[in-house]
Amino acid sequence: MNYMRAAVIACAICLLFPTAGAYAANTFESDYTYDAWGRAKRSPPAFEWADTLDGSRMEKIKVGSFDDVYVADDRIFVADATESRINVFDTDLTFLASIKLIRDEAGKIMVSEATGKQLMLANPEGVFYSEALGELYIADTGAERIVVLDGESYSYKRTIEKPADMVGVTPFKPSKLVVDKNGKISVVVQGSYEGIIDIHPDGTFSRYFGLNKPRVNLIDFFWKSIASNQQKEKMKKLFAPSFNNISIDSEGLIYATTFDPSAQDKVFRFNSKGENVLIQDGYFRVIGDLPRVTATESQFVDIAVSDYGVYALLDKTMGRVFLYNFEGDIMNVFNSIGNLKGNVKEPTAITWFGDKLILTDKQFGSAYVFQPTEFGQAALEAEKQYFHGNWEAAGAAFEETLERNANYDIAYTGVGRNYLMQDVFDKAMYYLKLGNSRGYYSQAFAEYRNLFIQHHFMWFVLLFVALAGALFYSEFRYNKKNG
Amino acid sequence: MFRVLLHPFDGFYDVKFLGKRNFALATVIMLLCGVTGIMSYQYTGFILNYNPLFAMNSITIFITTLFPFLLFMISNWSITTLFDGNGTIGDIYIVISYALIPKLIFDVLGIMLSNVVTQEESALLTAFTAIGTVWFAFLLFCGLTVTHEYSAMINIVTLAASFVSAILIVFLSMLYFTLIGKVIGFVYAVFLELTKRW
Repeated sequence: MNYMRAAVIACAICLLFPTAGAYAANTFESDYTYDAWGRAKRSPPAFEWADTLDGSRMEKIKVGSFDDVYVADDRIFVADATESRINVFDTDLTFLASIKLIRDEAGKIMVSEATGKQLMLANPEGVFYSEALGELYIADTGAERIVVLDGESYSYKRTIEKPADMVGVTPFKPSKLVVDKNGKISVVVQGSYEGIIDIHPDGTFSRYFGLNKPRVNLIDFFWKSIASNQQKEKMKKLFAPSFNNISIDSEGLIYATTFDPSAQDKVFRFNSKGENVLIQDGYFRVIGDLPRVTATESQFVDIAVSDYGVYALLDKTMGRVFLYNFEGDIMNVFNSIGNLKGNVKEPTAITWFGDKLILTDKQFGSAYVFQPTEFGQAALEAEKQYFHGNWEAAGAAFEETLERNANYDIAYTGVGRNYLMQDVFDKAMYYLKLGNSRGYYSQAFAEYRNLFIQHHFMWFVLLFVALAGALFYSEFRYNKKNG
Repeated sequence: MFRVLLHPFDGFYDVKFLGKRNFALATVIMLLCGVTGIMSYQYTGFILNYNPLFAMNSITIFITTLFPFLLFMISNWSITTLFDGNGTIGDIYIVISYALIPKLIFDVLGIMLSNVVTQEESALLTAFTAIGTVWFAFLLFCGLTVTHEYSAMINIVTLAASFVSAILIVFLSMLYFTLIGKVIGFVYAVFLELTKRW
């Protein structure tokens, strides 16, 4: 009886103290990744919540929503479409400035000559800072223009209205934009089926850019192929799906996303002709969640591209962030819609902040800083080294990731690939088989087989001699018997 | 039996009319075919094996391997009895299983070789195993011609017809089983209702 009482008291004491979560203060075991067979496998997250950027850091400035974020070398720009503001923070997340009324160099509020009204931002949905030009570009969606400000003083430089020579039917409502080193502006208009609008630095129209192929329905294709021209005119036209966000990497290549369900691809990396050259050599194409597992398709709202090819995709259906490497292998899936710290309701933008990630949420009106976990650090390090061609460092980093996450399939391939480079074929085969990488396995196996034949060449020769001897002997006997 | 492989017309003639039918042997060949199906799922070399091994169910594989042959046997028999074919269902069974011998041999060799080839050489291996399948088709065609005492043309027609009837059989059996399922479901619902009331 005493034992019972002691046990009950011990239980009660245990319940009084919260369970220790020393290593997982901010991570939650709901994260997963996909293995080669498309099964969702538990995986530690590559990133965990580290900090929140919201109205509490912004003195008296009201926060409506966070719609876009851009990280420059020393500052962070956040677009607030509801309050029509661009908020500026430094890299310690301290509030620097908020731009709503546009001022000239003397600090006077600009007045529009045509209407006599003050020049004010109207629901800007996108912001971009060009390091090379030292200019801040604001996609002023509501006013149908792009506002260019000086990078340091945020004073008025120029506005870019709809180019006079712009062709097509797309309304000029810039939503997201990027600017390359030469000042060429690429603008995404939501719902435009003509593509991304390229504008010369002087504000004249250049071209529509980017090929977004629609999915072709076999039945529709059949009916269209036998329809007459008159019938075709009455049929529903199939428009190219529209892009919804855009990003640019350090080499000036443009990335874009689409969440139009009729699009063939969801993520784009454009060559200069506007064709999609995104490498999709992973177990699956770059589509985020597999519909057969989650029963919903991922809808990407933004893409963040790093200097070493790893990109993060932000999904609005389940609030996930998908991490892919430059070969299109899925690395990790983390975060979700919810009410925990770092969770989102209506995610809008994602961007790299060094090795950290910032994602913004429209409804919460806040931005979250995510830092890599131990596993994430190792995984990013591995991709970095591999991207730069440091095979051995990459192999070591991949082995480190495996210690922290045995479900990280691409690391098995990474380690195996490293052994293959070092001509350790049996180990390479072991790891490549675990990584389900048949191409590399085949290469390792071919070498292994060569070595095997070389080492046991005597046996092969003996076998051949024995066979030849037996054949010769039987012929000899047959001929002798039959004369 | 081995005479059949190289001299199919004479061989199948002997099998049918000189009473060399051996049902035990035929059944063994059939069973071996099923086992080969399982083996090719499990033991095909990693480079060529895209099957999810963790989800393997050997009984299902065994049945799905043999099912087409048995289905063909029934559909062919049901067609040829209408087309004045002289073969009994036993004859057809013997023909199918004897014709399977080269396919069996080449498949087993293919499984073994698949463990020592690379991706580049896999096309050769596919061609190699295709020999067995082509041989099987040829033997089956000859055997059916002989056993039904058909000309080649009529045999082609009956083969096409038995293909269609195979589809019909599958369709009807599916219909039958769904209906039976519904009937059982209904009876069970009535039973549940009754037990709940009293």
